[in-house]
Amino acid sequence: MHSEKPTLTAKTALWAYEGEEHDFISTRTFGFWLYLLSDALIFAGLFASYAVMDNPMSAFGHPLANGLLSASRGLIQTFIVLGSVFSVSVGSLGLKTGNKGLVLGGLAAGGLLGALFIWFGVSDLQVMAAAGNGPLESGYLACLYALLITHALHMGFGLLWIVAMFVHVARWGLDAMNTARLLCLRMFWQFQASVWVVIYVYVYLFGGAH
Amino acid sequence: MQVAVEGPWSPLLGRLTLDAIPYNNPIIVPTFIVAALAGLVAVGAVLYYKKLGYIWREWLCSVDHKKIGVMYIILGLVMLFRGYVDGLMMRTQQAIAIGPDSPGFLGAKHGYLPPFHFDQIYSAHGTIMLIFAATPLLTGLGNIIVPLQIGARDMAFPYLNATSLWLTFAGAALVMISLFVGEFSSATWVGLMPYSEMASNPGVGVDYWMWAIQISSIGTTFNSINIIATIVKMRAPGMTWFKLPVFSWVQLTTAIIGLTAFPILTVALTLLGLDRYLGTHFFTAGMGGNFMLYINLFWIWGHPEVYFLVLPAFGVLSEVVPAFSRKALFGYPTMVAASFSIAGIGWMVWAHHFFTMGMGPDQIGFFSAATMIVGIPTGVKAFNWLFTMYRGRISYETPMLWAMISIVLLLIGGLTGMMLSASVIDYSVHDSVFVVAHFHCMVLVIGAAAFAAVIFWWPKVFGFKLNETLGKWFFWTFIAGSVLVFVPMFMAGLAGETRRLDYVFNTALAPYMLWEEAGVLVYLASVGFFVLMLIVSLWQRVPAGESPWGTERGLEWLTRTPVPFYNFAVTPHVNALDETSWRREAGAALRPTRYVPIHLPHGSGLPFILGMDVFAWGFALTWRIDWLIILTTIAMIAIVFIRSFDRNEGFIIPAEEVEAYEANINTASIFAEQPKRGHGLVGEAH
Amino acid sequence: MGTHHYDPTQHPEVRQGTILRYVLATVISAAAMVGAYYVAMSKPPLVSLIEELAGTLLVALLAQAALYFGLDVSRAQIWKSVSLVLTLPLFIISIGITVWAFSSLYGRTMPDPAIMSSMAM
Ligand code: HEM
Ligand SMILES: [Cu+2]
Repeated sequence: MHSEKPTLTAKTALWAYEGEEHDFISTRTFGFWLYLLSDALIFAGLFASYAVMDNPMSAFGHPLANGLLSASRGLIQTFIVLGSVFSVSVGSLGLKTGNKGLVLGGLAAGGLLGALFIWFGVSDLQVMAAAGNGPLESGYLACLYALLITHALHMGFGLLWIVAMFVHVARWGLDAMNTARLLCLRMFWQFQASVWVVIYVYVYLFGGAH
Repeated sequence: MQVAVEGPWSPLLGRLTLDAIPYNNPIIVPTFIVAALAGLVAVGAVLYYKKLGYIWREWLCSVDHKKIGVMYIILGLVMLFRGYVDGLMMRTQQAIAIGPDSPGFLGAKHGYLPPFHFDQIYSAHGTIMLIFAATPLLTGLGNIIVPLQIGARDMAFPYLNATSLWLTFAGAALVMISLFVGEFSSATWVGLMPYSEMASNPGVGVDYWMWAIQISSIGTTFNSINIIATIVKMRAPGMTWFKLPVFSWVQLTTAIIGLTAFPILTVALTLLGLDRYLGTHFFTAGMGGNFMLYINLFWIWGHPEVYFLVLPAFGVLSEVVPAFSRKALFGYPTMVAASFSIAGIGWMVWAHHFFTMGMGPDQIGFFSAATMIVGIPTGVKAFNWLFTMYRGRISYETPMLWAMISIVLLLIGGLTGMMLSASVIDYSVHDSVFVVAHFHCMVLVIGAAAFAAVIFWWPKVFGFKLNETLGKWFFWTFIAGSVLVFVPMFMAGLAGETRRLDYVFNTALAPYMLWEEAGVLVYLASVGFFVLMLIVSLWQRVPAGESPWGTERGLEWLTRTPVPFYNFAVTPHVNALDETSWRREAGAALRPTRYVPIHLPHGSGLPFILGMDVFAWGFALTWRIDWLIILTTIAMIAIVFIRSFDRNEGFIIPAEEVEAYEANINTASIFAEQPKRGHGLVGEAH
Repeated sequence: MGTHHYDPTQHPEVRQGTILRYVLATVISAAAMVGAYYVAMSKPPLVSLIEELAGTLLVALLAQAALYFGLDVSRAQIWKSVSLVLTLPLFIISIGITVWAFSSLYGRTMPDPAIMSSMAM
């Protein structure tokens, strides 16, 4: 059978007396990464719903994406969200040198761009709703709104988080705990850009062009 | 833009009125009285013995993975009993209400349950058994065993672990309170669509069901994150991947399913919630809604979910069978590979639940074939267990009996599953009780494995064994009941009985129904033996010693018995897959020669408070009490925010104290009251 | 648990980030999206539309995975990469198989040819 032969020498280690130093920051960032993967599956569910509903029957007399969304405005939103992620990421370089100003500056700039992004998206949706294509009008519209608003809600939650990090960094500086949190926040923000490019290509461009 | 609800609504209480309390129902009122009395006795006992502080500090605030696991299992057992009573009621209804001449009692035309009440019972039964009985039982086992098997002090995120537990509790509490306040869903555990929509189901039942599952499944997602991070990051030195015990491997694959499949359920339920609360048209019958989309989303989660449940059971078998065969597990690497392929292929078969939807032959062929392919790795596992037993020195203690019957049930459930996976067969038996019998066999696999696990690891946690004689009575009555219920059910299904009947019109089915009733009454005896087994064993409390079964193999048995709250006095260095039996054979030390300080996390009341808040939130949403929804939502955010400021880094147990605990291990058991330590919500420094 | 005696500025995930990575990730993503925009505007036939959009999207996502998230096979990142590789197929399966199943359903149940062609992907 495959079981290991009992070989015991004087050198065989039996106990880890020194204790094992678990990498606290990596454990946290890995756990948070797993959360992001599950969040990606939430978007998978929404994309699947969107794909199923993306037909005239579900649109119930209302237009599909090509009659509702503007690809060029979407491109502007893409630039804004990339700019925001860029700011937060560059700000995080301050963690290398313990440069609080750079970290917080990056967060602030990223947060402002994020707010601009949300404002942009929400005002588009308002125009759509005012033109009689609100979320309650058809199954397709409900899916479209659900997808866009879920993404915007994520960004909004990220803004709350940014504000909270200002408080934490002011109070405890860039210690291990805050470093772990800032690394998670950076991932969270970058993740929003990844989701957005999928939305942009699939809903705005693919939906707009066929 | 909330939808208008049928019936009264007030700003203060939402839809809640006095009529919501079924004070004139002849079945619910006695139930309520019994439940209330039991609750009063429990609270009275806690107060009389002055245990309130102990329970708050040592249990409700605990972040110890073993205590959390024990609480999960208690929840699972209580809900298992509730689900069983639902089953008993359904069987009794079907045993009476057969044919147009059958009698009616208590205001029912046939049988003793009016159709609407019967519908709620079967919806509650399915929901409870899968989400609130099986899931907590298995999650609890994983919680207790995984950190011990990998030589860790605790889970990677102890606070998140407690949060998962209390979210599950909140969901279960919502199901339970629906019994006495309002009604439960009548739309089955899967949420039939578009019947679950507001137009056809305007009551609060579907809302209760929806929020209960939603809340607990978020808890499950968190738990999956925790298990994966724990196994990846917290293994003891020396534990390479191929020294990871199979149970932990299986927990890893299970957690991957939990992490990836449950979010899809979250989406399905959220979209349903938007329909029911804001009036969108995702799944409605008109306005471009598509109810097949719901069914699709539900089963994208639903099928991986059944493997989420059965894989841990396979893990249990892979621990129990070798222990009682006194042999290493046969084919360890293939076991690992099979777990991953079951999880992976199991993610691609979901449409076999709606072969009849109207997809084309290519699609049906794909899902049919994929479903059959899952049988291959499952078969690999079954043969591995058999080869483990082959030429082993088998002894038939109760855990082994449960493990062996579990394999038999797997064979029956798996073969009938294979029949169903052939779409031509499925077209004729879909939605018949044949399907019900199939998945009950599978769920009994889980049940049997869970009993095996509870009995096997019981002494590890409690320090004494369960009574073997009563355990055997429990086993045999349970098996007799299962045979009596499910053999006739397969036959009735093939004879054409559709599922979920509150009235069986075909009198030719009467004999089957009566056999099944007999079976469910035999189950009643087994419930009795189970309770008796618990009481007698608790009464006798024969110390189990350091090696309760004499055949233990895995690393978890290297801790003292009962397991102390700090797990290993000194973190072990792992040398073999079956570390404990390896050390015994090699003559290596089972105990360390000196002690070092131990660092542990503090308890916290916040996860419990968060759970209660989420319960209130679910209740407020169900009854549409707007102010309470807003209040509890703000409270949730506030609790998370407050928690982020808790920089409490735990406490240290000095080496001398560890030595003292080890010398008198019962003082370190998870049931022993510990002195208050350190700062934080829990208490002052000592 | 929270034993953090080490210096967080030296943590590999902190050290990994560089200005170059972030500039590249942003520029590549933006350029891919601009490319995708022009592809869509030129309204090519459906098959090449799908191919070209999928290609640009893949470029953007790969750049982000490698340069923003810094995924690679180093000790610090390996488990993130592995878990992504295990999860990504599920993301694709859940969308792809759903679309496939419903396209055949629609093809068989919806009489309107416009609907059939819009789902025939
Ligand atoms: C080899 C393995 C399996 C195969 C081939 C299989 C096949 C199937 C098929 C084809 C159906 C659909 C029947 C219908 O509704 O017409 C079904 C239903 C079901 N199976 Fe299985 N199954 C397997 C394993 C399992 C396992 C391991 C579980 C649970 C632990 C399980 C639980 C269920 C449940 C709950 C349903 C019915 C759900 C409902 O409609 O309410 N199955 N199975
Ligand atoms: Cu299935």
